[in-house]
Amino acid sequence: MKLDVSAMENNFAPVHAGVGDDDDLGLFGAGADLPAMELPTCADFDGFQKTNKEMLKHKKGTTTLAFIFDKGVIVAADSRASMGGYISSQTVRKIIEINPYMLGTMAGGAADCQFWHRNLGIKCRLHELANKRRISVAGASKLLANILYSYRGMGLSIGTMIAGWDEKGPGLYYVDSEGARLVGSRFSVGSGSLYAYGILDEGYRYVMSVEEAGELARRAIYHATFRDGASGGCVSVYHVGPDGWTKLSGDDVGELHYKYYPVQATPVEQEMADAPAA
Amino acid sequence: MVGKNCFAIASDRRLGVQLQTVATDFQRVFKIHDKLYIGLSGLATDVQTLYQRLVFRHKLYQLREERDMKPQTFASLVSALLYEKRFGPYFCQPVIAGLGEDNEPFICTMDCIGAKELAKDFVVSGTASESLYGACESMYKPNMEPEELFETVSQALQASVDRDCLSGWGGYVLVVTPTEIQERVIKGRMD
Repeated sequence: MKLDVSAMENNFAPVHAGVGDDDDLGLFGAGADLPAMELPTCADFDGFQKTNKEMLKHKKGTTTLAFIFDKGVIVAADSRASMGGYISSQTVRKIIEINPYMLGTMAGGAADCQFWHRNLGIKCRLHELANKRRISVAGASKLLANILYSYRGMGLSIGTMIAGWDEKGPGLYYVDSEGARLVGSRFSVGSGSLYAYGILDEGYRYVMSVEEAGELARRAIYHATFRDGASGGCVSVYHVGPDGWTKLSGDDVGELHYKYYPVQATPVEQEMADAPAA
Repeated sequence: MVGKNCFAIASDRRLGVQLQTVATDFQRVFKIHDKLYIGLSGLATDVQTLYQRLVFRHKLYQLREERDMKPQTFASLVSALLYEKRFGPYFCQPVIAGLGEDNEPFICTMDCIGAKELAKDFVVSGTASESLYGACESMYKPNMEPEELFETVSQALQASVDRDCLSGWGGYVLVVTPTEIQERVIKGRMD
């Protein structure tokens, strides 16, 4: 059954208007790096947080990957959102466009990822305005990692990769809600990551064309969707080059399977198909 | 699902260990005799063991009575077999479908300790059962011919398993009429 992917189209014009109308200094006041969200007032804060965490526990059911090669960074993800066993959506945009030259991936709690990536986009824009130059990928990932570290233990569930191109060339960082920030050239995050690593590690070379790299990423995510129950939907592949990111492809996994493994009639089936005609 | 003097029984084909898919050709619908089929969902080892036990019991019955078991009798047999293990159950939910006297279609489902639930239209079981109830309810019509029944069952199955992480990876549909048995493997989303 073909998926309706209209939900994945980008309907918003790139926002360069900035934050002119912001009156409250909440985000770029003195306390910008401290937790700015309200915390509940209750007798047993830790106990409350613990029950909260259990209730909202997300198991990072997804597959995302990113790798650096000589022509930039490839970022790819599936598009399934699952709530336990139930598939709540097959057309989730897991690759978040932070700004025209930086991408973030979503794994874990969808709300957490969406909010904090957008927040990161705001901070990056503010940095550009304040310093008259774009923020580096290292800087952007550090901003996010610091915010997530300050909320450590409160049940945020985020496993993201920040990929971009800055003055030093392609950059890729893995940032998660436990506070980890790792620099690297190949990452895969989510429940399907092990399957994706199998394909990615086997086919990876530093020197590849953009098409080859995109095809490697697509196959890796496809294999993860096949084996992992919590991954599926569509594979989106993006390429980040010196001029920013471009979306290379978005393919429905249901159709990709039959493209990679076309159905071949077994001899018995072939006979059965021919028999009525005979 | 019941049609006009026929029935269809269908299943998905996935075998998995929680989220990991191990096989995509797992058989869940088994033949007891030409006009009686059982579909078993749940723990794979119990599916296979229960099927083997039921075939054993049915063969003994055939030897003693020199005829095939009626679907209603078979359902009672399954129910008793499951309740025997009340305090250490088989983790299976069976779906039984057969053509009884005068080729009247008979379907029923059970929980894992043998509570029989008869229905006149359709029965479902498995991890996607809630989805299946919804899909079957909306797609079912009484007195469908075998071809239409096949389409309905396939569409209901595919629509429901596409909303479940733990089901799918192909489908298997069997339509049984008094004169013939048609089995088909459905190409579905493999994610």
